Amino acid sequence: MGFARQAPRRDFALLWHQIRYEQLSFWRNPQSAFFTFLFPVVIITIFGALFRGASGSSYFYGLSALQYYVPTIAATSVLGACYSQLAIVLSMRRQNGILKRVRATPLPAWTYFLGLLAHCIMVSAVDVALITGIGAAFGTPLPTHWPAIAAALVLGAASFCALGVAVASLIRNSEAAPPVVQLILFPLVFLSGSYMPIHSGVLNRITGALPVRPFNLALMGPFAQRSGFDWKDLGVLLAWGAAGTLIAVRRFRWDPRPE
Amino acid sequence: MRTQLTVTAAMTGPAGSPGPRAVMVTGLRKSYGAVQAVCGTSFTVERGEIFALLGPNGAGKTTTLEILEGFRTRDAGVVEVLGLDPGDRSHGRALRERIGLVLQDIAVEPYLTVRETIARNAGYYPAPRDVDEVTGLTGLAGLERQKVRSLSGGQKRRLDLALGLIGGPELLFLDEPTTGFDPNARLDAWEIVRNLRGEGTTILLTTHYMEEAQALADRVAVISGGRIVAEGTPATIGGRDTARARIGFALPVGYTAADLPADAVPANGLVTVETAEPTRTLHELTGWALRHGTELDRLTVDRPSLEEIYLRLTGHDRHGHPTEGNP
Repeated sequence: MGFARQAPRRDFALLWHQIRYEQLSFWRNPQSAFFTFLFPVVIITIFGALFRGASGSSYFYGLSALQYYVPTIAATSVLGACYSQLAIVLSMRRQNGILKRVRATPLPAWTYFLGLLAHCIMVSAVDVALITGIGAAFGTPLPTHWPAIAAALVLGAASFCALGVAVASLIRNSEAAPPVVQLILFPLVFLSGSYMPIHSGVLNRITGALPVRPFNLALMGPFAQRSGFDWKDLGVLLAWGAAGTLIAVRRFRWDPRPE
Repeated sequence: MRTQLTVTAAMTGPAGSPGPRAVMVTGLRKSYGAVQAVCGTSFTVERGEIFALLGPNGAGKTTTLEILEGFRTRDAGVVEVLGLDPGDRSHGRALRERIGLVLQDIAVEPYLTVRETIARNAGYYPAPRDVDEVTGLTGLAGLERQKVRSLSGGQKRRLDLALGLIGGPELLFLDEPTTGFDPNARLDAWEIVRNLRGEGTTILLTTHYMEEAQALADRVAVISGGRIVAEGTPATIGGRDTARARIGFALPVGYTAADLPADAVPANGLVTVETAEPTRTLHELTGWALRHGTELDRLTVDRPSLEEIYLRLTGHDRHGHPTEGNP
């Protein structure tokens, strides 16, 4: 009886325990810390140096170049921290038996995945803060509608985490993970306007139904101080997150050898 | 929670027994496609004993163990681990809190230290053992601050063992715990396992080393081709205690095997006499030698070694050559 009443508190403590060790593993691994933070920071610094002081133009939908790039590069960094990182890390952990070792303990699967999710959201928040700060250093005005940014960030991070786990569920071989992850992501990021605005109505309608462009737009509205919550795009993100979760729940494997 | 589980399990256990057996397996079957990995295996492990599943590679040891650990589903049969069905996901967590697993081909996060890795897993259990106690027990004392990636192969296996122990398990599964160890490391590992039994932990291990089964196990089951072909203590398994004794010696110069008072078979420059009555036969042979004023050089009396029994049971002759079918 006493156990039943203590269980939720114990589960919460367990989740916190898991998040702490997930953070520790991440910061100790120079590779993941480097690629997660360095790449987006370098890109936004280059764009900042190139476009500083540029005023609004119709090419950037009336925004200044940096008003456009701060949210899209922030979104790209979240993709890296959530989707790419999880798909690759989980395939590798499965391949070398780390996942099976986790499965050998009483740690519930949901705690393991919530720990990863919380970790990815924290890393994403640091990424977005860094990029916003560098943008501001190059004269980009800071956004004011922070709740809308937080909502887009959390929902986007969660959805891309779910998609990362889904891809890790579908890839058997860890060596195939990085190329498959990039093969999906790279064209999608380009076509979704993350590195240059796309002025094709047809293309935008297609990418608008895929996950990356809605995430860009959901961040761009509040970043450019044009709008707050972008419900339509948040809805598309949520749908992709749900689809990823469904695949992950049905197909995720802990054991490197198939049954 | 633990009390509750024990009570429920005891009610389903055999009448009159103090509690459920540690492991009960009846008619276990598992196929991978057309390959039958486990074909109707049955055995029990009593609480507090070390039980060894001994068999060659591919005999079905690991499959059996992984079914007991809840990693694999079974096709048929009844399996109980501490009174619970490991195939039923609903007690997965409750069962995992009471068992410890040391698996083959397993890795842990390379960038954490030994202490961090053990402390992390300790947090997964309701009543874990003390981290320092476990590092001491597994010979990892002094390595606590080392990163996992810098450990040697043998040290990583010790860490595996530490992770298996940290939850304070009632039952510990060890899958080929000393494969790849040098002889000293193996002796150390055996000592750790014996100490655990001394503390009351039940241990189910798989091995393909006869010496390991002989040195550690209270009971041994020999598994071959997915079947248990013999079960018993290391001293009695395969009729080892009642098998015919072998008397071996060098034939004295000037005599032939036909001169001896017993049926002798030449082997490796010696002659061997197999007998069900070693005392009588030995008396006859030594009496014969004394009467003829000669010596039986290199005289030995022995029984089949566990290795010979094992090879015979797993379908090989004394020299390791395959025989037709199992005896």
